[in-house]
Amino acid sequence: MRLTIRSARAAFIAGVLAMPGALGAQDVAIRNATIITISNGDIPNGTIVVRGGKITAVGANVQVPAGIRVIDGTGKFVMPGIIDAHSHAALEGGINEGSESVTPEVRVQVKNDDAVIYRALAGGVTAALQLHGSANTIGGQGNVVKMRWGSSAEDMLFKGAFRIVKFALGENVTRASSTAPADERRFPMTRMGVEFTVQYWFNKAKEYQKEWDDYRAAVKANPKSDAIMPRRDLRLEALSDILKGDLKVHSHSYRADEILMLIRVAEENGFKVHTFQHVLEGYKVADEMARHGAMASTFADMWAYKVEAWDAIPFNMALMTQRGVVVSVNSDSDERIRRLYQEAGVGVRYGNMAVNDALKMITLNPARQLGVDKMVGTLEVGKDGDIAVFSAHPFAPNAMVEYTLVDGKVLFDRSEAATLRKQAATSPGGNQ
Amino acid sequence: MRRTLKGLATLVSLAATASMVEAQAAPGQDTTYLIKGGTVVNPGAAPMPNTDILIRNNRIAAVGAGASAANAKVIDATGKFIYPGMIDANTGIGLQEIGGIGTMNLRSEMGQFNPHMKALVALNVESEILGVTRMNGVTTVLTSPSGGVISGQATLINTAGWTWEDLAIVRTAGMMINLPGSGGGGGRGGGGGGRGGGAPVGNPAQLQADFDQFMTESRDYSAGRDAGTTKLDLIYEAMRPLFKKEIPAIIPAGNEQSIRNAVAFGEKWNIRVVISGGGEAWKVRKFLAEKNVPVILGSIESAPGDNVPYDAIYAQPGLLYDAGVKFAFSTGQGSNARHVAFHAALAVAYGLPLEGALKALTIWPAEILGADKQIGSIAQGKLANLFITTGDPLDLRTQVAEVFIKGRQVPDDDRHHRLYLKYKARPLPVIVP
Repeated sequence: MRLTIRSARAAFIAGVLAMPGALGAQDVAIRNATIITISNGDIPNGTIVVRGGKITAVGANVQVPAGIRVIDGTGKFVMPGIIDAHSHAALEGGINEGSESVTPEVRVQVKNDDAVIYRALAGGVTAALQLHGSANTIGGQGNVVKMRWGSSAEDMLFKGAFRIVKFALGENVTRASSTAPADERRFPMTRMGVEFTVQYWFNKAKEYQKEWDDYRAAVKANPKSDAIMPRRDLRLEALSDILKGDLKVHSHSYRADEILMLIRVAEENGFKVHTFQHVLEGYKVADEMARHGAMASTFADMWAYKVEAWDAIPFNMALMTQRGVVVSVNSDSDERIRRLYQEAGVGVRYGNMAVNDALKMITLNPARQLGVDKMVGTLEVGKDGDIAVFSAHPFAPNAMVEYTLVDGKVLFDRSEAATLRKQAATSPGGNQ
Repeated sequence: MRRTLKGLATLVSLAATASMVEAQAAPGQDTTYLIKGGTVVNPGAAPMPNTDILIRNNRIAAVGAGASAANAKVIDATGKFIYPGMIDANTGIGLQEIGGIGTMNLRSEMGQFNPHMKALVALNVESEILGVTRMNGVTTVLTSPSGGVISGQATLINTAGWTWEDLAIVRTAGMMINLPGSGGGGGRGGGGGGRGGGAPVGNPAQLQADFDQFMTESRDYSAGRDAGTTKLDLIYEAMRPLFKKEIPAIIPAGNEQSIRNAVAFGEKWNIRVVISGGGEAWKVRKFLAEKNVPVILGSIESAPGDNVPYDAIYAQPGLLYDAGVKFAFSTGQGSNARHVAFHAALAVAYGLPLEGALKALTIWPAEILGADKQIGSIAQGKLANLFITTGDPLDLRTQVAEVFIKGRQVPDDDRHHRLYLKYKARPLPVIVP
């Protein structure tokens, strides 16, 4: 983890003119805007007030307290800060612990001076799930972060969010060592092997749990018991946390067969697949997902880039939503994280989703998948002041983020940002 | 799209539609269509409300209030908008299918100097990418070979058709040339993935010398053919249209120096140049406008470099427009060519006027690629490439209602609609215990 001193360099790299203050919430009101609450409809000519980092008022007839910063929202659209449920942005030192196919004991590390954070803010993103990569059947643990640009790595962590671990199925796992010499390859090399890997390790985890349960029971029954304390194993402990529901499974997946496989393996072993990631063929098994209670975090429209993405369709979001699956649309990319609002809108273009349902896919629904929906994801009194202010409706062709607030602090302000037009106006060779 | 509500009905009624078509047109003839009452939106012109479009024999026979024809199939476009088909000005569609499978991505021939490679003759008409591209109103794409120094001939095609001949609008729309040392692909080879690609080059100076020699010999050959003194050579012959200025060289160039080099290359050999990619074109926008050199922009869905403003990629088209540079949008690969309108939307948000976006999606790529007599606007005599929408195609909330390519109504038979309609109708699971 890096501290704020390096952020200055990153700010320079990103072309930021002014660094926001790292400490202290700001009281701010946005007045006379269309407010997209997500939970209670759109409010034309509405006002939203944030004090002490929390939303204190939102509505049509709201009194703005004297003396606080007021942003004129005339003609603008205000929505909850966008949440990206699948990102590898701002990670320090690699995303795959690929030495073995089961590594839930490791965890990704925040790189707080990565310019991607600023660029995500410029796209209205205020929180993200930083995931381990997809090389392992059971990969490492992720972080839920707020885009607190200018803060320490530790302060970027979103307190109260789920602990989340990455699983992965299909091509990425099975080809992880496919180019290595035959005697250096890593099991599994097939989808069959992936299924067995999950079965095998949860069987071990249950044995491990039983050892500890037996030991604790023996000591409880007789404090002078000569029972020997089991050896602590961080890998099996993490798997045990999954069985207890303390560590949520987010599983990379593409094909319907592997999605159904993991659902059934989870049910046999007594854990839940909390959210399927990518889940490009989720539309084929949406009923099974809904019945299991699994949510879905998918691409808007990525297909044909490999064989397991051949049946991906942009109607996936609409179809899964129709069958009762909670769907988010994610970036998985330092590029798409800049325009997730556009990705959500693709669900309207293909499948004619209701506009509010489409916007839920980048707000409330990912908040549920990350375990932060009591704090963010809608514009309601008491929730965090995580807000994106757009120049137009986020699905309109002239939609651009003008302000992004995290905990009530304006961390992106287009009027203060270094822009191409500003550079073009001053660059000596700019108009040659 | 149209498709959510109408989709199932459309599939079900396909057979019925087909027989209806036959009832109205003799076998082998195309249906005459009358699109009535819509607002026609042409690039560079005020929208024309309540305007009828008559389509006959693949072309637009009339545009105006009160157009009519006996036996025309009438499409009611009241309350809707009709746009000329959109163009993605650089893709690998038809040469590429599933990424990561070499044999499905044959875009790069071996060797360095391949002007005789023609994208057109290798196009897979049944590519699933064609179908999903047209369903969003993208009726035309440029498909280009890649790799080596001279990659081959790019072709401008429709996204619906029965053979590659049927797809073609401009068989050879440009020659793809990666100038050695430009970082635009020269000497690197294999730009399109898959097999082939240029041989590794150990010595850039040698490659430059080889290229200069090839250009000299090509020019001399062209002059010799004009004089009737040189016998046919299939490779040099492929270079002749460049020297006769019948086609442009399409030159990948990203940074300012590469762009200047590309323009200088055109002046040196007296050939037309189109810049492809053009990441720093804004730095030389006046220069490009003065030289009348157009740009086919690379994908706007790209992350910016470290030392540029966060909005550089989105804002550049607006700067080019203000400076008078003619440009087109492109997605670069193909599977998401249908999103080219969303690329344009990002440019609009960051300063490109809407009318500039529409030009850069229609008439400008048509002009840049020599097809403006055929496509690019809704005008009498042009191919009937157009689509009907509920609103601005750049607005994500807009639904595409109908697509016409070469005067033919395109059914919802693409891969994505097939899977969508199949699984939308999936009954609840019944599992044998």
